[in-house]
Amino acid sequence: MDLQGLPRMQTKPNPGFFKRNAPIAGEAEAIDRAKNGDPDAFAKLYALHKRRVYTLCLRMLGNVSEAEDMTQEAFLHLFRKLGSFRGESAFSTWLHRLTVNLVLMHLRKKGLQLVSLEETINPSEEDAPKRDFGSRDTMLTGSVDRVTLERAVALLPPGYRMVFVLHDVEGFEHNEIATMLECSTGNSKSQLHKARLKLRELLRESQALSAASEPAAQKVNAR
Amino acid sequence: MKDLTTANFDNMTTAEFEEYLPELFENSGGSISKDPRFATFFQSNPDCAALVRDLEIIAEQARSLFEPSGEESGPEPSDAVWSNIASKLKEEAPTDEEN
Repeated sequence: MDLQGLPRMQTKPNPGFFKRNAPIAGEAEAIDRAKNGDPDAFAKLYALHKRRVYTLCLRMLGNVSEAEDMTQEAFLHLFRKLGSFRGESAFSTWLHRLTVNLVLMHLRKKGLQLVSLEETINPSEEDAPKRDFGSRDTMLTGSVDRVTLERAVALLPPGYRMVFVLHDVEGFEHNEIATMLECSTGNSKSQLHKARLKLRELLRESQALSAASEPAAQKVNAR
Repeated sequence: MKDLTTANFDNMTTAEFEEYLPELFENSGGSISKDPRFATFFQSNPDCAALVRDLEIIAEQARSLFEPSGEESGPEPSDAVWSNIASKLKEEAPTDEEN
Protein backbone atom coordinates (compact mmCIF):
# COMPACT_ATOMS: atom_id res chain seq x y z
CA MET A 1 0.00 0.00 0.00
CA ASP A 2 1.19 3.50 -0.79
CA LEU A 3 0.98 6.44 1.56
CA GLN A 4 1.09 9.01 -1.20
CA GLY A 5 -1.07 12.02 -0.59
CA LEU A 6 -0.43 11.97 3.12
CA PRO A 7 2.04 14.48 4.47
CA ARG A 8 5.22 12.98 5.89
CA MET A 9 5.34 13.23 9.64
CA GLN A 10 8.46 14.33 11.45
CA THR A 11 10.85 11.53 12.31
CA LYS A 12 12.85 13.23 15.03
CA PRO A 13 12.65 11.38 18.36
CA ASN A 14 10.09 12.72 20.81
CA PRO A 15 11.43 12.36 24.40
CA GLY A 16 7.91 11.97 25.80
CA PHE A 17 7.26 9.12 23.46
CA PHE A 18 10.39 7.29 24.54
CA LYS A 19 9.15 7.49 28.13
CA ARG A 20 5.77 6.05 27.18
CA ASN A 21 7.10 3.56 24.67
CA ALA A 22 9.81 1.83 26.62
CA PRO A 23 11.42 -1.06 24.73
CA ILE A 24 9.73 -4.41 25.34
CA ALA A 25 11.83 -7.42 26.30
CA GLY A 26 12.76 -9.42 23.22
CA GLU A 27 11.43 -6.77 20.84
CA ALA A 28 14.76 -5.63 19.39
CA GLU A 29 15.83 -9.17 18.63
CA ALA A 30 12.45 -9.94 17.05
CA ILE A 31 12.75 -6.83 14.87
CA ASP A 32 16.20 -7.86 13.63
CA ARG A 33 15.07 -11.41 12.92
CA ALA A 34 11.85 -10.26 11.25
CA LYS A 35 13.88 -7.90 9.03
CA ASN A 36 15.71 -11.00 7.83
CA GLY A 37 12.44 -12.67 6.97
CA ASP A 38 11.93 -14.85 10.06
CA PRO A 39 8.16 -15.49 10.17
CA ASP A 40 8.23 -16.51 13.85
CA ALA A 41 9.85 -13.21 14.75
CA PHE A 42 7.15 -11.30 12.88
CA ALA A 43 4.52 -13.36 14.71
CA LYS A 44 6.15 -12.27 17.96
CA LEU A 45 5.99 -8.61 16.92
CA TYR A 46 2.32 -9.10 16.14
CA ALA A 47 1.70 -10.70 19.52
CA LEU A 48 3.53 -7.87 21.30
CA HIS A 49 1.74 -5.03 19.53
CA LYS A 50 -1.62 -6.32 18.27
CA ARG A 51 -3.60 -5.00 21.23
CA ARG A 52 -2.21 -1.48 21.09
CA VAL A 53 -2.59 -1.24 17.33
CA TYR A 54 -6.11 -2.67 17.40
CA THR A 55 -7.15 -0.41 20.28
CA LEU A 56 -5.78 2.62 18.42
CA CYS A 57 -7.73 1.65 15.28
CA LEU A 58 -10.87 0.99 17.31
CA ARG A 59 -10.67 4.34 19.06
CA MET A 60 -10.10 6.20 15.81
CA LEU A 61 -12.75 4.35 13.80
CA GLY A 62 -15.30 3.34 16.46
CA ASN A 63 -16.09 0.17 14.51
CA VAL A 64 -14.85 -3.36 15.29
CA SER A 65 -14.90 -4.65 11.72
CA GLU A 66 -13.05 -1.64 10.30
CA ALA A 67 -10.62 -1.70 13.22
CA GLU A 68 -9.76 -5.34 12.47
CA ASP A 69 -9.30 -4.56 8.76
CA MET A 70 -6.98 -1.66 9.57
CA THR A 71 -5.05 -3.74 12.12
CA GLN A 72 -4.47 -6.27 9.36
CA GLU A 73 -3.39 -3.51 6.94
CA ALA A 74 -1.09 -1.98 9.54
CA PHE A 75 0.79 -5.23 10.14
CA LEU A 76 1.01 -6.03 6.43
CA HIS A 77 2.38 -2.56 5.87
CA LEU A 78 4.76 -3.07 8.76
CA PHE A 79 6.02 -6.28 7.16
CA ARG A 80 6.73 -4.45 3.90
CA LYS A 81 8.40 -1.46 5.54
CA LEU A 82 10.21 -3.08 8.44
CA GLY A 83 13.52 -2.83 6.59
CA SER A 84 13.31 0.95 6.77
CA PHE A 85 12.95 1.05 10.57
CA ARG A 86 16.24 2.47 11.83
CA GLY A 87 15.47 2.84 15.52
CA GLU A 88 15.39 6.66 15.46
CA SER A 89 12.22 6.47 17.53
CA ALA A 90 10.78 3.70 19.68
CA PHE A 91 9.44 0.87 17.54
CA SER A 92 5.94 1.24 18.98
CA THR A 93 5.99 4.98 18.20
CA TRP A 94 6.98 4.23 14.62
CA LEU A 95 4.30 1.54 14.36
CA HIS A 96 1.63 3.85 15.78
CA ARG A 97 2.53 6.60 13.31
CA LEU A 98 2.29 4.11 10.49
CA THR A 99 -1.10 2.95 11.80
CA VAL A 100 -2.46 6.48 12.23
CA ASN A 101 -1.43 7.33 8.65
CA LEU A 102 -3.18 4.23 7.32
CA VAL A 103 -6.37 4.94 9.27
CA LEU A 104 -6.44 8.55 8.10
CA MET A 105 -5.88 7.43 4.51
CA HIS A 106 -8.73 4.96 4.94
CA LEU A 107 -11.02 7.70 6.28
CA ARG A 108 -10.12 9.98 3.38
CA LYS A 109 -10.90 7.21 0.93
CA LYS A 110 -14.30 6.91 2.58
CA GLY A 111 -15.03 10.51 1.73
CA LEU A 112 -13.25 12.73 4.18
CA GLN A 113 -10.75 13.75 1.51
CA LEU A 114 -13.52 15.44 -0.41
CA VAL A 115 -13.84 18.15 2.19
CA SER A 116 -11.20 19.87 4.25
CA LEU A 117 -10.78 17.91 7.46
CA GLU A 118 -10.59 21.25 9.24
CA GLU A 119 -14.26 21.72 8.43
CA THR A 120 -15.42 18.15 8.84
CA ILE A 121 -13.93 17.78 12.30
CA ASN A 122 -16.23 20.53 13.53
CA PRO A 123 -19.36 18.79 14.76
CA SER A 124 -22.89 20.11 14.64
CA GLU A 125 -24.10 22.57 17.25
CA GLU A 126 -25.95 19.86 19.07
CA ASP A 127 -22.79 17.74 19.42
CA ALA A 128 -20.66 20.66 20.52
CA PRO A 129 -19.97 21.17 24.22
CA LYS A 130 -22.29 23.55 25.99
CA ARG A 131 -20.79 26.93 26.73
CA ASP A 132 -21.26 26.90 30.45
CA PHE A 133 -18.94 26.09 33.28
CA GLY A 134 -21.46 23.96 35.12
CA SER A 135 -21.46 24.25 38.86
CA ARG A 136 -19.38 22.79 41.58
CA ASP A 137 -22.07 20.41 42.79
CA THR A 138 -22.07 18.71 39.40
CA MET A 139 -18.35 18.56 38.88
CA LEU A 140 -16.76 15.17 38.48
CA THR A 141 -16.61 13.29 41.73
CA GLY A 142 -13.02 12.25 42.31
CA SER A 143 -11.28 10.18 39.68
CA VAL A 144 -12.78 8.79 36.50
CA ASP A 145 -12.31 5.10 35.93
CA ARG A 146 -10.84 3.91 32.67
CA VAL A 147 -13.92 1.99 31.50
CA THR A 148 -16.20 5.00 31.99
CA LEU A 149 -13.76 7.28 30.20
CA GLU A 150 -13.36 4.79 27.34
CA ARG A 151 -17.16 4.72 26.90
CA ALA A 152 -17.37 8.50 26.95
CA VAL A 153 -14.57 8.80 24.37
CA ALA A 154 -16.49 6.44 22.10
CA LEU A 155 -19.48 8.83 22.30
CA LEU A 156 -17.49 11.86 21.16
CA PRO A 157 -18.17 13.25 17.68
CA PRO A 158 -15.56 11.73 15.29
CA GLY A 159 -13.48 14.89 14.88
CA TYR A 160 -13.24 15.54 18.61
CA ARG A 161 -12.47 11.87 19.23
CA MET A 162 -9.68 11.87 16.65
CA VAL A 163 -7.83 14.84 18.17
CA PHE A 164 -8.41 13.65 21.74
CA VAL A 165 -7.08 10.14 21.01
CA LEU A 166 -4.08 11.41 19.07
CA HIS A 167 -3.09 14.04 21.66
CA ASP A 168 -4.22 12.93 25.10
CA VAL A 169 -4.03 9.15 24.64
CA GLU A 170 -1.34 8.61 22.00
CA GLY A 171 0.80 11.59 23.00
CA PHE A 172 1.22 13.28 19.62
CA GLU A 173 2.07 16.99 19.67
CA HIS A 174 -0.34 19.54 18.19
CA ASN A 175 2.03 20.33 15.31
CA GLU A 176 2.14 16.62 14.42
CA ILE A 177 -1.66 16.35 14.63
CA ALA A 178 -2.04 19.46 12.49
CA THR A 179 0.17 17.86 9.84
CA MET A 180 -1.69 14.56 10.01
CA LEU A 181 -5.17 16.11 9.88
CA GLU A 182 -4.18 18.90 7.50
CA CYS A 183 -5.45 21.58 9.82
CA SER A 184 -3.80 24.41 11.76
CA THR A 185 -2.09 23.91 15.11
CA GLY A 186 -4.58 26.36 16.64
CA ASN A 187 -7.43 24.29 15.28
CA SER A 188 -5.97 21.16 16.82
CA LYS A 189 -5.70 22.89 20.22
CA SER A 190 -9.21 24.24 19.93
CA GLN A 191 -10.66 20.85 18.95
CA LEU A 192 -8.87 19.17 21.83
CA HIS A 193 -10.27 21.69 24.29
CA LYS A 194 -13.80 21.19 22.95
CA ALA A 195 -13.31 17.41 23.12
CA ARG A 196 -12.35 17.63 26.80
CA LEU A 197 -15.32 19.90 27.53
CA LYS A 198 -17.64 17.47 25.77
CA LEU A 199 -16.13 14.57 27.70
CA ARG A 200 -16.73 16.43 30.94
CA GLU A 201 -20.38 16.81 30.00
CA LEU A 202 -20.69 13.13 29.10
CA LEU A 203 -18.93 12.01 32.28
CA ARG A 204 -21.09 14.25 34.46
CA GLU A 205 -24.21 12.85 32.82
CA SER A 206 -22.90 9.32 33.38
CA GLN A 207 -22.19 10.05 37.05
CA ALA A 208 -25.61 11.65 37.51
CA LEU A 209 -27.28 8.57 36.01
CA SER A 210 -25.28 6.26 38.26
CA ALA A 211 -26.19 8.32 41.31
CA ALA A 212 -29.89 8.27 40.35
CA SER A 213 -29.91 4.51 39.85
CA GLU A 214 -28.12 3.74 43.12
CA PRO A 215 -31.13 4.29 45.44
CA ALA A 216 -33.23 2.04 43.17
CA ALA A 217 -30.52 -0.61 43.25
CA GLN A 218 -30.29 -0.32 47.00
CA LYS A 219 -34.06 -0.85 47.29
CA VAL A 220 -33.83 -3.97 45.11
CA ASN A 221 -30.94 -5.30 47.16
CA ALA A 222 -32.83 -4.64 50.42
CA ARG A 223 -35.71 -6.85 49.36
CA MET B 1 -7.62 31.57 21.14
CA LYS B 2 -6.23 34.57 23.00
CA ASP B 3 -2.63 35.63 23.36
CA LEU B 4 -1.43 34.82 26.86
CA THR B 5 1.19 37.56 26.89
CA THR B 6 -1.51 40.23 27.17
CA ALA B 7 -3.54 38.44 29.82
CA ASN B 8 -4.36 39.93 33.19
CA PHE B 9 -5.09 36.82 35.18
CA ASP B 10 -6.39 38.60 38.29
CA ASN B 11 -9.03 40.68 36.54
CA MET B 12 -10.36 38.58 33.73
CA THR B 13 -13.93 37.46 33.21
CA THR B 14 -14.92 33.80 33.07
CA ALA B 15 -15.50 34.20 29.31
CA GLU B 16 -11.96 35.53 28.86
CA PHE B 17 -10.63 32.70 31.00
CA GLU B 18 -12.39 30.17 28.79
CA GLU B 19 -10.74 31.72 25.74
CA TYR B 20 -7.31 31.45 27.35
CA LEU B 21 -7.87 27.91 28.60
CA PRO B 22 -6.74 25.84 25.56
CA GLU B 23 -3.46 27.74 25.37
CA LEU B 24 -3.03 27.65 29.15
CA PHE B 25 -3.39 23.88 29.17
CA GLU B 26 -0.87 23.58 26.37
CA ASN B 27 1.68 25.84 28.07
CA SER B 28 1.27 24.48 31.59
CA GLY B 29 1.56 20.83 30.67
CA GLY B 30 -1.97 20.29 31.97
CA SER B 31 -1.43 21.57 35.51
CA ILE B 32 -3.23 24.89 35.88
CA SER B 33 -5.05 24.31 39.15
CA LYS B 34 -1.85 24.62 41.20
CA ASP B 35 -0.44 27.57 39.26
CA PRO B 36 -0.11 30.48 41.73
CA ARG B 37 -0.90 33.01 38.97
CA PHE B 38 -4.51 31.85 39.05
CA ALA B 39 -4.99 31.50 42.82
CA THR B 40 -6.88 34.78 43.12
CA PHE B 41 -9.00 34.14 40.07
CA PHE B 42 -9.93 30.62 41.17
CA GLN B 43 -10.81 31.88 44.64
CA SER B 44 -13.26 34.36 43.09
CA ASN B 45 -14.51 31.91 40.46
CA PRO B 46 -14.87 28.46 42.03
CA ASP B 47 -16.80 27.15 39.01
CA CYS B 48 -13.77 27.86 36.82
CA ALA B 49 -11.58 26.11 39.38
CA ALA B 50 -13.90 23.09 39.23
CA LEU B 51 -13.83 23.09 35.44
CA VAL B 52 -10.03 23.18 35.37
CA ARG B 53 -9.77 20.41 37.94
CA ASP B 54 -12.17 18.24 35.91
CA LEU B 55 -10.28 18.83 32.67
CA GLU B 56 -7.03 17.95 34.40
CA ILE B 57 -8.57 14.69 35.68
CA ILE B 58 -9.76 13.83 32.16
CA ALA B 59 -6.37 14.57 30.57
CA GLU B 60 -4.54 12.63 33.28
CA GLN B 61 -6.81 9.61 33.01
CA ALA B 62 -6.59 9.70 29.20
CA ARG B 63 -2.86 9.04 29.43
CA SER B 64 -3.60 5.78 31.23
CA LEU B 65 -5.66 4.59 28.24
CA PHE B 66 -2.46 4.34 26.23
CA GLU B 67 -1.44 1.17 28.04
CA PRO B 68 -3.73 -1.77 27.26
CA SER B 69 -5.81 -2.86 30.24
CA GLY B 70 -5.36 -6.26 31.92
CA GLU B 71 -4.23 -9.11 29.69
CA GLU B 72 -7.62 -10.82 29.79
CA SER B 73 -10.00 -7.85 29.73
CA GLY B 74 -8.73 -5.52 27.00
CA PRO B 75 -9.98 -5.67 23.43
CA GLU B 76 -7.90 -7.55 20.92
CA PRO B 77 -8.39 -8.47 17.27
CA SER B 78 -10.01 -11.79 16.43
CA ASP B 79 -7.86 -14.77 15.43
CA ALA B 80 -9.00 -14.27 11.83
CA VAL B 81 -6.87 -11.12 11.63
CA TRP B 82 -3.63 -13.02 12.21
CA SER B 83 -4.78 -15.85 9.90
CA ASN B 84 -5.30 -13.33 7.10
CA ILE B 85 -1.96 -11.66 7.77
CA ALA B 86 -0.11 -14.98 7.90
CA SER B 87 -1.59 -16.18 4.62
CA LYS B 88 -0.64 -12.89 2.90
CA LEU B 89 2.86 -12.91 4.38
CA LYS B 90 3.55 -16.21 2.68
CA GLU B 91 3.18 -14.41 -0.63
CA GLU B 92 5.43 -11.49 0.31
CA ALA B 93 8.96 -10.73 1.50
CA PRO B 94 10.22 -7.61 3.33
CA THR B 95 11.66 -4.79 1.22
CA ASP B 96 14.49 -2.31 1.93
CA GLU B 97 12.46 0.68 0.78
CA GLU B 98 12.59 3.90 2.77
CA ASN B 99 9.33 4.77 4.50
